[in-house]
Amino acid sequence: MQLRDHIESPCGLRYVFEQLELQSGYTRRWMLDMPMMRKGEDIVQAYDTLRKFVRFVEQVDTPYINTLQFRLQGLKDIRTTIKNLGQQAVLDDIELFEVKHLAILAVDVAERMKAHGLDEAVRIPDLNEVITILDPDGLKMASFYVYDSYCQELRDLRSKMRQHPEQQEDLLLECAEIEEGVRRDLSKQLYRFAKPLEEAQVAMACIDMNLAKALQIKQLGLSFPTISNDGISRYEAMFHPQVKDALEMRKRVFQPVNITFGQKPTLITGANMGGKTVVLKTLTLCQYLFQYGFGIPAAKADIAVKDEIYFCIGDEQSIEKGLSSFAAEMKNIDAVIKASREDKKIVALIDEPARTTNPTEGTALVSALVKVLGGETVSLVMTTHYDIEPTDARCLRVKGFEGGTMNYELIEVQDGEVPHEALNIAESLGIDEEWIETARRILNPSNSIGLDSKGSNSTPSKNEKGEGND
Amino acid sequence: MTFINEILNYDSLSIVGLQKNTGKTVSLNYVLDRLPVERKRIAVTSIGIDGETTDQVTLTQKPEIYLRQGMYFGTSEMHYRQKRIVSELIDVSDENTSLGRVVTAKALTGGKILLSGPSSTSGLKRWVKDMHRIGLDLVIIDGALSRMSLASPAVSQCMILATGAAYSTNMTTLVQQTKFIVDLINIDLADEATIKMLMPIEKGVWFVDSESVLHEIKTVSSLSQEMRFEGMDDCKMLYVAGALVDGFVEKVRKNPKLKNTELVVRDFTKIFVSPQQYRMFLKTGGTIRVLQKSKLIAVTVNPTSPLGVTLDSDTLCAKLSEAIQLPVYDLMKCKECN
Repeated sequence: MQLRDHIESPCGLRYVFEQLELQSGYTRRWMLDMPMMRKGEDIVQAYDTLRKFVRFVEQVDTPYINTLQFRLQGLKDIRTTIKNLGQQAVLDDIELFEVKHLAILAVDVAERMKAHGLDEAVRIPDLNEVITILDPDGLKMASFYVYDSYCQELRDLRSKMRQHPEQQEDLLLECAEIEEGVRRDLSKQLYRFAKPLEEAQVAMACIDMNLAKALQIKQLGLSFPTISNDGISRYEAMFHPQVKDALEMRKRVFQPVNITFGQKPTLITGANMGGKTVVLKTLTLCQYLFQYGFGIPAAKADIAVKDEIYFCIGDEQSIEKGLSSFAAEMKNIDAVIKASREDKKIVALIDEPARTTNPTEGTALVSALVKVLGGETVSLVMTTHYDIEPTDARCLRVKGFEGGTMNYELIEVQDGEVPHEALNIAESLGIDEEWIETARRILNPSNSIGLDSKGSNSTPSKNEKGEGND
Repeated sequence: MTFINEILNYDSLSIVGLQKNTGKTVSLNYVLDRLPVERKRIAVTSIGIDGETTDQVTLTQKPEIYLRQGMYFGTSEMHYRQKRIVSELIDVSDENTSLGRVVTAKALTGGKILLSGPSSTSGLKRWVKDMHRIGLDLVIIDGALSRMSLASPAVSQCMILATGAAYSTNMTTLVQQTKFIVDLINIDLADEATIKMLMPIEKGVWFVDSESVLHEIKTVSSLSQEMRFEGMDDCKMLYVAGALVDGFVEKVRKNPKLKNTELVVRDFTKIFVSPQQYRMFLKTGGTIRVLQKSKLIAVTVNPTSPLGVTLDSDTLCAKLSEAIQLPVYDLMKCKECN
């Protein structure tokens, strides 16, 4: 699986990707074709390189970065040309121009990298010889034609052409033959550079990517993760950049969250609007960002490497496929279960499974899911509103309403008992009073008299909730 | 010819034809042939396919574009490979056209070339900007009226309009229709403060009150039949960022509240109003202003239609010149005179 396959995940990966200031369209395509890293050492190496770029952007001034970025804008995708060269084809003027352009760019960028000790971080092959071949006059300009200097006869013909424009058509034909000979000769000299040219192109995309990631780390306040070896992922002050930005637009603040999960299934319960889904989204996002070597939106992160990442968010109706929301969800979760039976380390983040069916069967389905996915190969985090039977799952609960505002902090609780705050929250949204009152009477017929909406709008304590549930 | 010197006052020129075979390419070659290439650095490109040896529609012979040594040009990869001059490549862009990417090169000898440049307004704008950035003095765009927005004032400072019998073989109609287009091109600019205020707004319909406060009119578009002018008792100016069409102009004209309202559009290429409606609007006291304007330098005519009808060149030039109050040239004839 490549970044291209993951980018549309509803976790917000595209948002972070689109915020990268990539300079070249080629870099963008190259990144989208990147496979997800599944080996710890690859991830370590990627972050080592990125760390060097973060130091680089801290050391140099903005104009220097801008110049480098401007140079990288000249990075073009010339894979077809390089392939032709590799197959020993005779390149035409446009292709030779592309090769020369890439070589000049590579030499220039390599010098800049070397000046800041980054030449070891991303190695660019030396292409000075390519420039020499394609720049017989030593002009060091990124332009190309079959220069007069390649052949005296060509020089004579062209000068004749300028003196006798009336003979141009015939002279051009003569020139064309000689030019073709020169191009054949140049191509032959360039064949052995096909591989270095390809490497240089990739190396510069890599520089473009790392520079953009480094700048993003500074800009969004991201951090470098450590790699967890015990299968447990730990996040401190984790945030979701997209949700944070959206809140800041409305002059509100995102409350960062601490969470640890991994070996045992983790259940998150909590009030509606308590940010449970955002927690799952952020965990999914962080896992992808980690395995694609981006900065992590958390103050501190220790993350376990996984083979597969599953994010099942309930309300994906698949109208094209003709599936109801329940069917679509069941199919998604089914894929997770099947994957868990293969020998793969997976992380599964499931948002309110079976929410669209009746609570009796829904509760049974969710309880069973915790058991089925409780194996060691699966790191499961699941949110639910159902009271599921006690298992050895860890239970986290969103703290919930405190003095009229929502506290999104996650606290560890002993059992999976779900808080009953739906009516209070609905009330705080200004939902129709009659509806909510009627619901209260249905829940608690004996208490209904005298318990008006005003009298019960403070957050109920655990006891009160217990009563409400009886 | 005087208009060649006038071109030198501007940094960009579009040459547009009212119709195919109105002699646009002749005009372009005429200009390219006479510009002082030794003291001005010049680049030329075209909107999409142009410079074919035969016209793709009527299969009549078309003149080729002749570049002089030292001129820069933008064309597609395909046409670059077919070039019949010696030239040095200076750029291969990411801009894709149906004929490959747009490449830019410098002519090292004079010669014939097929031009097919950027095919989008943004691509064209970028190309013009790039040429100015590398220090060129004048960028010439070979345009087409059917895609006039690409040659709009957003892209070039001045223009030459080619018209002729291909547009209409009835001389009176030809003169009238050409005059209408010339009138639109010559619409006056709005005042500076207005231009500054409205230029950044690229969509919607807006009005400006007497306090110079801008209000958006909630409507789907200026094309909408539902257009109502409510709450606009104090409307000094009405700005249509998109296309200006008959229905809208008529509503404005018939609304007594908008009697002294000035109508503002981005540029003349956004006006899709019939000559009758346009004249009626002006006659009843309406005014139209634009935010961007190209200086119309000259009008050229080709008195021969592709179907073989030839109008009398002298009469046509005289009549048209009288109608539009600008010099009109039959360049084929001028060429023979030279």
